[in-house]
Amino acid sequence: MTSLTPIIVLTVFVAIFGVGIVVVSALLGPKRNWTKAKKIPYESGLPGQERKETKIPVKFYLTAILFIVFDIEVVFMYPWALTYTEFIDAGLGGYIFGAMAVFVGLFIFGLIWEIKSKALEWD
Amino acid sequence: MSELDILFYILSSMSVLFGALVVLTSSPIYSSLYLVMSMLSVAGIFMTLNAPFIAGIQIIVYAGAVLVLFVMVLMLFDLKRETKAFTKGRFSGFLKLVGAGLLCGFIAGAAYESVSLIMATSEEIPTNIAAAAETGFSPTTNSIKEISKLLFTKYLFAFEVLGLLLLVVPIGAVALSRVAGGTHAKH
Amino acid sequence: MGSDVFEISVNFVKMVAIFLLMVNLVPMLVWVERRGSAFIQNRFGPNRVGPLGLIQLAADAIKFLFKEEFIPPKGNKALFLIAPIIALIPGAIAFGSIPLSVPIEISAFEMFGSQWGPYVFPFQSFEIGIGIVFVLGVSSLGAYSMLLAGFGSANKYSLYGALRASAQMISYELAMGLAIVGILIVYGTFDFAEMIAAQQGPLSIPLFEADHVVNKILGILPNWGVFYQPVGFILLFVSVFAETNRLPFDLPEAESELVAGYHTEYGGIKMNMFYIGEYGHMMVASALIAVFYFGGYSLGTTLDTILVEGTIVPNMSALFASLLNLFGSGWEQSTNLINVVRAFVFHGIFMAKILLFLWIFVWVRWTLPRFRYDQLMDLGWKTMLPWALANTIITAFLMLFLR
Repeated sequence: MTSLTPIIVLTVFVAIFGVGIVVVSALLGPKRNWTKAKKIPYESGLPGQERKETKIPVKFYLTAILFIVFDIEVVFMYPWALTYTEFIDAGLGGYIFGAMAVFVGLFIFGLIWEIKSKALEWD
Repeated sequence: MSELDILFYILSSMSVLFGALVVLTSSPIYSSLYLVMSMLSVAGIFMTLNAPFIAGIQIIVYAGAVLVLFVMVLMLFDLKRETKAFTKGRFSGFLKLVGAGLLCGFIAGAAYESVSLIMATSEEIPTNIAAAAETGFSPTTNSIKEISKLLFTKYLFAFEVLGLLLLVVPIGAVALSRVAGGTHAKH
Repeated sequence: MGSDVFEISVNFVKMVAIFLLMVNLVPMLVWVERRGSAFIQNRFGPNRVGPLGLIQLAADAIKFLFKEEFIPPKGNKALFLIAPIIALIPGAIAFGSIPLSVPIEISAFEMFGSQWGPYVFPFQSFEIGIGIVFVLGVSSLGAYSMLLAGFGSANKYSLYGALRASAQMISYELAMGLAIVGILIVYGTFDFAEMIAAQQGPLSIPLFEADHVVNKILGILPNWGVFYQPVGFILLFVSVFAETNRLPFDLPEAESELVAGYHTEYGGIKMNMFYIGEYGHMMVASALIAVFYFGGYSLGTTLDTILVEGTIVPNMSALFASLLNLFGSGWEQSTNLINVVRAFVFHGIFMAKILLFLWIFVWVRWTLPRFRYDQLMDLGWKTMLPWALANTIITAFLMLFLR
């Protein structure tokens, strides 16, 4: 049986544990002054090279969108895999295999198209 | 007040609260993080309704994929200027009031209609569900298997069309982000 | 969480104990890593503090508590502080849903003058009917701690490292999900305990009869999942390396490219919490591999019958009972005690398997060189995903003919 209360209690406990550790560390640590070197972001000791506009490539966006699509397809495979043996026992094995084969075929087509169109090239 | 009631009140108030905070915060990253919390509360509500599989899928797909995309993209934008939550202006204020009024009217109408519907069909709850609820069946795996059996027999066409729709998404995404020369051209 | 006070309190103590087990295994793992890496690299590891250097990690933890708290002034203070706490939560929750041993059945007993009824305590923090789906979902929430850490430090190297780390993590979650589909086809259930129960007994091919010579030869091996899904095992194993950002996939933490990736600006105990989260995730992954492919807490048929029905466990419980007879009397007939000792013996077996896989994690880290980032992403999308799909299709095809 599934019940939600232990999950919530555990999450709250872990969060309190984490917050407690951070608070204890903040209270126990020494308080030092702010020097000029502490205020700039850490760049391995080199003098600050902040540019105004940092262009971050669009590949991250594409990777995340493709991940969403394929994740949904994987999620549809879970109930299929769960009842696969029951369908086979009921004599419908070929039918259910074919149904998912069409779906996976679309999935593979999308993957091949996207590899061929160089959407996943990282340099 | 049973345990399920307390859980329902906590989770639903959390999801409404976080949903409101999504709209009222002025920083986009905080908005998406509140949306994550709202999605997790909705997943909790699914679990109290004895649909743990849907709760799991909600966490995997919504909170774990879609909102990760949102947060990643918002970090890419590097928004320095945070927009204000409330804008002034008479015409936009009027439109906002009209929109809010319409929404409240829809919600009230839907609640009124569904109350009469629930009262009318309470005698018609299928007998097997009522009997099974009395014996305390564990609907976890059974309900998932029932859903999947339905999905692949009765709703098979919808399933395949869904595959086709999911194929459209990456093609559209790649077309939208296409720069002349490929994604790693110099520009 | 339980119907009466005894059950609620035992469940709560069990939940806290399993979480603390995970947290306390982390210093042990770091010690294993430091000594193990030293052994592989032909040098000594920490061996001054305490016997064999075992207290080194406690000393390090106490030292970290006393470090100065540093929050980057231009960063987002709330997100900077929340990120390490979010790093702990997915590992703890996922570890709590994996059954670590057989459920303990306590029959009715009497204490403090009132009857406490028969209970069944599952040896996990909470029971979820949808085991795998829940663990996968919660693991995918681990991407948020990286993103928030990278964003909260006002450092563009941190941000870039965070984006790369989360992109890597989500790419390999697909291969993980598909390898799990293969296991689901074979076992037909989401629940971990049912999967472990299905892995009892000797290995056999259903096409031949039970005393065919092929089955007799195969019967030496236990009915573990790794013999049904070897490709799935390799896929899952490699994917969890990428999920937890462990070498050879740890470019987001690479020293030469990105300083320290998304936890550059962190110091002291907050940085340690990221490591607790990473090692916790590794423990969950090792537990998953042990449950899916290596029989979980059971050891295959012959050893199980020895432990369950035969000689070892009643003897151990008799030993316990004779020790406890010093404090009271009448402990020998207690079937409750036998159940508890048996659960802990199985738990020991499970922990041995988890520790073996964790040692393999450490071993691989200090043996293989690191992948370049584009090689890593190419491997995830163009190699592992097609192989995982092929594994699923071939498994489904074979199931059609073996039934």
